[in-house]
Amino acid sequence: MTAPLEELLKMEPKEIQAHNERPTADQLRNKTQTYYEDVEVGLELPKYIYSPTPTHLFRWSAAIENFHRIHYDLDFGMNHDKNPSILVHGSWKQSVVPQFLKDWTLPKGWPWKAAFEHRAMLVPGDTLIMWGTVTGKYEKGGMGFIEMDLGMKTQDGVESMPGSATVVLPLRDGTDIPYPFVPPKD
Amino acid sequence: MTQEAQQDTQSVLTPEVQAMIGVQGELVESWGTVDVEYLRRFTQAVMDPDPRYWDEEFAKTTHYGEIIVPPIMISYMTGRIRPDQEDAITKAFEENPMSDGIGNVERPGALPEIPTHLVRTLNAGNEIEIFQYPSIGDVIFFQNRYRDIRERVGRDGKAFLIITREITYSNQKKDLLCITRQSSIRR
Repeated sequence: MTAPLEELLKMEPKEIQAHNERPTADQLRNKTQTYYEDVEVGLELPKYIYSPTPTHLFRWSAAIENFHRIHYDLDFGMNHDKNPSILVHGSWKQSVVPQFLKDWTLPKGWPWKAAFEHRAMLVPGDTLIMWGTVTGKYEKGGMGFIEMDLGMKTQDGVESMPGSATVVLPLRDGTDIPYPFVPPKD
Repeated sequence: MTQEAQQDTQSVLTPEVQAMIGVQGELVESWGTVDVEYLRRFTQAVMDPDPRYWDEEFAKTTHYGEIIVPPIMISYMTGRIRPDQEDAITKAFEENPMSDGIGNVERPGALPEIPTHLVRTLNAGNEIEIFQYPSIGDVIFFQNRYRDIRERVGRDGKAFLIITREITYSNQKKDLLCITRQSSIRR
C-alpha cells in the first residue's frame, strides 16, 4: 500500500525518501498485471521519490545533449540568470512521466497520453515526489481507460508539474491491448 | 482568468496568424539511428532500470517481443547537431562570451515564425501521446506543425495568443511512434 501523498508531505525529506517505490529491475521483470477492474477512483499510484544532485543533472544534460548552462554552471546560473542554483531540467521531469505510466501499466497495458505544465524551479537538494491519483475510468472498444491527475511535488508541497494522463489497462476477461496502440474512435 | 477576445479588444488573431494553423515544416531525418548505447545512457539518466531496455532474452518473452525504447527518448534526437554543421558551441561563445550554451542554432525542419508583433514567449504546457515503442536500429523522422492558434484576453484586457506546435515522430517504415505538443503563450 503506497503512502498517501498527503501523509508524505508532512514528513521530513529523509522520511519521504524512505517511501520511495521506484521499482527495481527485478520488480519490473516480474510485474503482475493491474486490471481495469482492480482500479477505483481515488487510488494513488506508487510514489517515485528522487533526490537529484548536480551529478544527476550533469548526466542528464550529457545524455540528451542539452548544453544549457543553467543546468550545470552554478556561477552562470546564479550570477547571470539570477537563479537560486543550477536547475533540474524540465526535460528530465517530463521524461519521468512516461516511465511512471509504463511501469504501472506493465506488462500488457499502455501508457497512452499525458499532458502537463512546468512550474517552479527545482534545484539539487530538493526531494521530489512523482505522484498520480486516479480520477476516472471507462470502458471502450474492449479496453479499460484510466484517467488520472499527476505531478511532481517538492518536499514542501510545491507542485512543479501539474498534469493529467490517460492509460489503458486490459479487462480481466478481455483481450490484449492492441500493439501498436490504436486509440478507439470517438 | 482569461476569456475569449471580446469585440472591444484589439484582436491579435489576424488572418495572417490564422493562416499559420496547419502549416508544416519539412519531414526531417534525425542524425543517426536508435542504438543501444544512447538507450543505455538515456535510461540510466532518467533512472529507469527496466530490463525491457537491455535484456534481449527477457525482452523476447514480453508483449513487445524485442528490446523497447522510451518514445520520449527519440524526441531529443531532433536537437542533435549534425557533424556536417558548424560547431554550434564554439560559434555561440565566439558570438557571445556569456552565451547560455545554446546559442542561435538553426534547427532543421523548423517552422516559419508566426507573423505577430507579440514577442514575449512563455511555456504553457506539454503533451505526449504514445502509439508504439521505437526499436533498436530505427531511423527517426520528425515533422513540425502548427496544430492550433487561439486567442485569449488577459486580466490586463490585452489579447494574447496560445500557439500549439506539434511534432510527429515516425520510423523508416512510416510507423507512427509518438506525438509531442508544446503550447506557448505569446504576449
